[in-house]
Amino acid sequence: MSAETVAPSGLETHGLVAGYERDLPIVRGVNLSVGAGEFVVLLGPNGAGKSTLVKAIAGLVPIHHGSVRFNGEDITAAPAHEKIRRGLAFVPQTENVFATLTIEDNLRLAADLLPKRVRARRIAELYAMFPDLAAQPRRPAGQLSGGQRQMLAAARALIVQPSLLILDEPSAGLSPKMATEVFSRLKAINASGVTIILVEQNVKSALAVASRAIILVEGEARHEGPAATLADDPIIAELYLGAARART
Amino acid sequence: MSPQILMDGLINGAMIGLGAIGITLTYSILRFSNFAHGEFIAWGAYIALALSGFLGVLAPSLTAPLGPFSFGWSLPIAAFGAIALTAALALLADALLFGPLRARGGASIILVMASFGAALVLRNLLEFIFTSRPAYYADGLQIALRFLGVRATPDALLCLLVAAIVVVATHLFITHTAVGRAMRAVSENPELAGIVGVDSRKTIRLVWILGAGLACLAGIMAGLVVQIRPTMGVDLLLPLFAAAILGGIGSTPGALLGGLIIGLAESTTVRLIGAEWRAAVAFAVLVVILLVRPRGLFGRS
Repeated sequence: MSAETVAPSGLETHGLVAGYERDLPIVRGVNLSVGAGEFVVLLGPNGAGKSTLVKAIAGLVPIHHGSVRFNGEDITAAPAHEKIRRGLAFVPQTENVFATLTIEDNLRLAADLLPKRVRARRIAELYAMFPDLAAQPRRPAGQLSGGQRQMLAAARALIVQPSLLILDEPSAGLSPKMATEVFSRLKAINASGVTIILVEQNVKSALAVASRAIILVEGEARHEGPAATLADDPIIAELYLGAARART
Repeated sequence: MSPQILMDGLINGAMIGLGAIGITLTYSILRFSNFAHGEFIAWGAYIALALSGFLGVLAPSLTAPLGPFSFGWSLPIAAFGAIALTAALALLADALLFGPLRARGGASIILVMASFGAALVLRNLLEFIFTSRPAYYADGLQIALRFLGVRATPDALLCLLVAAIVVVATHLFITHTAVGRAMRAVSENPELAGIVGVDSRKTIRLVWILGAGLACLAGIMAGLVVQIRPTMGVDLLLPLFAAAILGGIGSTPGALLGGLIIGLAESTTVRLIGAEWRAAVAFAVLVVILLVRPRGLFGRS
């Protein structure tokens, strides 16, 4: 995939090779370009390297070759805690809330990055966006349902008003109703100007909300296109989703 | 339980509790049992002794006893310097030993063994500098006060008060400040804490500073109430771990409560059975907790 159409205010990766062990890369030379305001979904069969790719971008998996640029800056070597300060927020698939901390403390933890005078206002704004959380601020996050945890994780990521929000399978383990709720929230967040990169197994729902899709197979970005086109393309579905699934 | 056993247990337990907070913080955030923590207690006591003596030479009036207490202004002033220097010692140990081992992905057992080594070096160094002869912050004998059927020295009562204030302050610091939230976050999930913007390295440094500072304070108290010896830290180690595990790893109030329970158990044993069984009590309590409730009173499951 070419990285020629680079948006200066977006995210781009060049020849990204990443994995927990240097000799066994899971992501193998991925070139990615996501422009500001886009809603991109990363699809692919299990083991394709989707989660590893987004974790590498977030600073959680070692990058062995290539580079990551965000809003024009090289953030390849930046540790995870610096990336959120630059506006790149990541929500992992599991263990994405601090179970022993209350909802309020989970949000405050992220708000601590902001100037003191705006912290309370920003938390109030997030409570307004996620009323379920506002109803029980002193409740330990470990007592929340799967859907509520995803909402809390997303709310915490949004506290610092990131320009890019990356989510790793936010619908995993959720009921269809709750998954629909999550996708609808993500669409609204994207409409407010936040760029979204979404890793999903729930192909139909993800393509319904995303503007563009990128398909990863065996650690490589093999195809991309407008989400609407991809959803209706039986050949692509067979080649990159069905066929790849059949192999695994 | 007689009031005197209760008083002795509370005074002993307050010292154990303060030391156990450092153990519990180190364990929950750095994820290893730091057997060198007892040496921070001993070093804290000796640094305070040295600084206090130095201040006494500079200004002899600072050694004049303060009211009913056995010490003068030189000790409280020296305590601040000792806390800072003990914290610096802990940071140095982390920079030279524990940090590099963590960076290499060293397993918990490697860090534990390294802490054993560090403890030996620190203890022998202390003995080399100050000799093994017991030392005291003040020479004079202190008369115990009698009230409500118990006897306690003003120094011991002050230690109890200071320990209570420090534990409450530490608990509020951990539960109500941004730094405390960061510590709890790193303790639960370091990777997620990084994503949220917490700098784990900075948090780890703060944990060393806080743990060593409290250890120093516990050492000064032990020096005031008992005596100062190079082995005072290692002698306290078992009760410290028993208190931290009894309270529940990661829980500050748990560490204090665990310390008080161990302290009471020790003072009861000394009175009813004999002083030679004192150390066995902490060990017995530790074994029972590990068998019955491994997560302790307030620990996470």
